[in-house]
Amino acid sequence: MREDQNKTPENKQQQLHITSYKEHFSTLAALLLLTVITVAISVFGADLRSLSVFTALLIATVKVIVVAYYFMHLKYDTKIYTWLVLIVVVLFVSFTVLTSIEYLNR
Amino acid sequence: MEHTAGFSLPNSGHNRDAEASKMGMWLFLFTELLLFGGLFIVYMVYRSLNPEAFLLASFELDVTLGTFNTVVLLVSSMTIAMSITAIQKGNSKLSIQLLVVTLVAATVFLIVKYFEWSSKIHHGLFPGQELYASLPPGESLFFFLYFFMTGLHALHIIIGGIIIGVVVYRTRKGLISSEKYTLTENAGLYWHLVDLIWIYLFPLFYLIH
Repeated sequence: MREDQNKTPENKQQQLHITSYKEHFSTLAALLLLTVITVAISVFGADLRSLSVFTALLIATVKVIVVAYYFMHLKYDTKIYTWLVLIVVVLFVSFTVLTSIEYLNR
Repeated sequence: MEHTAGFSLPNSGHNRDAEASKMGMWLFLFTELLLFGGLFIVYMVYRSLNPEAFLLASFELDVTLGTFNTVVLLVSSMTIAMSITAIQKGNSKLSIQLLVVTLVAATVFLIVKYFEWSSKIHHGLFPGQELYASLPPGESLFFFLYFFMTGLHALHIIIGGIIIGVVVYRTRKGLISSEKYTLTENAGLYWHLVDLIWIYLFPLFYLIH
């Protein structure tokens, strides 16, 4: 009855997805491109001050998602990890928003 | 009752559960995220209270060195991810080589950081020094947070480097193989977290002008 559950961790791991070198390299290329964009906006777009704060954080967030999704293997892991990450993100964003409201209303 | 022995005990005498180890690592990473998250909120509050001072102070930081270190960390994140691929494919030698490249990148990062810090300290910007004491309150807050947050991050780089060193040692000893590489995976997760934090530190201190 439990035949197919009788697998050792080793057997389970062998069934797991192995990310190719090529995919890792493409991920790095994307991250470097985003870094070039964010530095270029900061250095050459000095007159877009308020915009640059927003875009810098937006690009950083995109980079973080790329690292977590590909390098940290969230793409191929069981979805429980993605859900846990989302819960922690919601928790942190709530702290941030609540703190901002407190300071904006002074 | 032989039915209960559906799983095989490894010879080491205790159960090895790769998935549980990884879950443990992720839970630890969440505590790390909230540790730095708290500091980011402190940064946000003080920046919103002293926008001009933070802007002025941020011009003191060298964008070129910051960008260089960002690239170094991103490359090291790829090499450690690739070393997991290598060990999964049974190539211990390549896995070790990629881990050593990661260690070299960590060392380069710390050397650059050392030069950045020592130039600031030379100018007297470290908390407690003369120039620091004479700065307007907002600017001294910027440098306090700069030293505290990049210092805490550098501590994580050092710890990550030690963990990677242990992985290299154990892989060389044959204790890590294509059958058993949880430690390599967890070291990778930790190293990526160090990278993630830097991805936010870099624009917040160097780029937001």
